[in-house]
Amino acid sequence: MTTAIQQHLDEIREIAAEVLEIEPEEITETSSFAEEHEADSLRAIEILARIEKKYNVEIPQAELPKMVNLRAVYDVVAQHAGWAA
Amino acid sequence: MLELPDIMRILPHRPPILLVDRVLEFVPGERIVTTKTISASEPCYSGLADPLPDAGYAYPTSLLIESFGQSGALLWLCSARHRGESVEGTLIFAQAKECVFDGRAYPGDVLRHEVRMDHLVGSNAFMTGETWIGDRRLATMGSVLAVARDSAELPQAQQPEPATRGLREGAT
Repeated sequence: MTTAIQQHLDEIREIAAEVLEIEPEEITETSSFAEEHEADSLRAIEILARIEKKYNVEIPQAELPKMVNLRAVYDVVAQHAGWAA
Repeated sequence: MLELPDIMRILPHRPPILLVDRVLEFVPGERIVTTKTISASEPCYSGLADPLPDAGYAYPTSLLIESFGQSGALLWLCSARHRGESVEGTLIFAQAKECVFDGRAYPGDVLRHEVRMDHLVGSNAFMTGETWIGDRRLATMGSVLAVARDSAELPQAQQPEPATRGLREGAT
């Protein structure tokens, strides 16, 4: 894993932790936002909004159902922000 | 710049839950400045024990946030209209986060809400701003979220009584 990917993952983890009001360490790449961190649909939208703002990207709302954990969010953002996979 | 009839053409809220009196400034997609005058004749002051200590007449914080939220909804709807778009669905006040209150408002005070559009995601508008009385800041609103949802997705209430129509139809 390159450092650029790790840095983006850490930044997204930080955003998700802020929105979900938990410690970043509690979020693993595959821990489920909804089931393990009690995220509801509004929290998911808030995570999406903060990511759009931070990286100045536009992510269609249709992608929301895919964004179930940190890794999945990274993949969606990477695709729309044009980050190398 | 916008008076009550203009506001009523844009917001679904009606008295006594219409909590914006006037729009002073509007920059599409960016910011709005509104006022709301607090009066002792509002429903929140009726039926109280008489007389209460001064603090008993402090304007309820929930209504202050609602008034800010309605101002934000005006910013959102007017901006959409300005772009030739419309916002479909029922307006809902969804959440307020990181709000700090520095004081209370009382009957006779004129609230001035300065609302900025922080970010718009589909039918979800994140707003931020402050509420002032003159040059005294009353509240800092970190993040207020208003959403529009298809009525079919919402829990169905019974047919509203006429007196509560505003509350049920437009709870932004």
